Amino acid sequence: MIQRLFAAAAVGSLGLVFASLAVGYSEQYSLRPLAESYVRLVPLELGAPNVITGILLTYRGFDTLGEVAVLFMVAAGVGLVLSRQPARGRASTKMRSDEASEIVRTGAEILVPLICIFAAYIIMNGHLSAGGGFQGGAVIASGVLLTLLVFPQYQPNLEFLSIAESIAGALFVLVGVAGLITAGGFLDNRIFPLGQFGAFFSAGAIPLLSALLGIKVGCELSVILERFRPQKR
Amino acid sequence: MTELIGSILVLLGAIFHFSAGLGMLRMPDVYTRMQAGTKASTLGNTLVLLGLAIYQPGWGLKLLIIVYFVLMTNPISSHALARAAYGIRIPMAGGTGIDALRHARRNPGGRK
Repeated sequence: MIQRLFAAAAVGSLGLVFASLAVGYSEQYSLRPLAESYVRLVPLELGAPNVITGILLTYRGFDTLGEVAVLFMVAAGVGLVLSRQPARGRASTKMRSDEASEIVRTGAEILVPLICIFAAYIIMNGHLSAGGGFQGGAVIASGVLLTLLVFPQYQPNLEFLSIAESIAGALFVLVGVAGLITAGGFLDNRIFPLGQFGAFFSAGAIPLLSALLGIKVGCELSVILERFRPQKR
Repeated sequence: MTELIGSILVLLGAIFHFSAGLGMLRMPDVYTRMQAGTKASTLGNTLVLLGLAIYQPGWGLKLLIIVYFVLMTNPISSHALARAAYGIRIPMAGGTGIDALRHARRNPGGRK
């Protein structure tokens, strides 16, 4: 009885909180000055319809580079910590040796290519609509996770993944340096012609940076997932 | 007219979603809860997205792709979850009579 009373009181107070939020909400009809200048400048200067990607990859491209570096450090740290622990039979007894069922295997065979296509779509349309390198890379990693779950024998080539990731990172920095030399500054996207606004090949270097970021993030997350998998032997 | 039909489909989908939530609360064990959640929410999703596709014909193709994706993933994931729950021997509700998976494992290759 008292439990019910407490539950009712909790629900009531939550409702009160949300009601006050809903009552106090007034829609903003004009942008704040900073947002307004971004909304005006990104299509004008960078030629990208998606303002967020324009900000992330050009105005705050250095910040994005830092984020990717943090992710790289996470991957390296996970590798350092987890690769020291070979299976001591503890993990393998916990894991059931059962294969994934046929339904799951067939579903994964259909879904993994779809997921990869979707990831490529997200990455390559980052400058046009919602999306970008980080999100697409995470989608790639989810496809890898599905593969790892369904096919326990599958061994991703860690060497290839780390080489691809390093090359993508180096090219990202090189594109930034090219912006420093030929355009306005580090990671400036105007090293290529801006092209027609809204077209697939437009917005200068932003699609290239998106693709590099997608490759890098996808490889890094895949390496992390592989490291976290309990070793079976 | 299309707006009305689309809205009615979305409402139907919402009713199915509601029944999914109700099933999660009222069903006795993991397996029946999973079934209620999966079946009702798959149909609810499909109806909501189809309603939206009728409401906004311009989005139709993308919404159909999403419907296909949901139809592919939702049953498969709940199947995998249910098998995992069975694998770690989560008990069934008291009144459960038939355990088809155990039968299938006892005589593999038997009739389905």
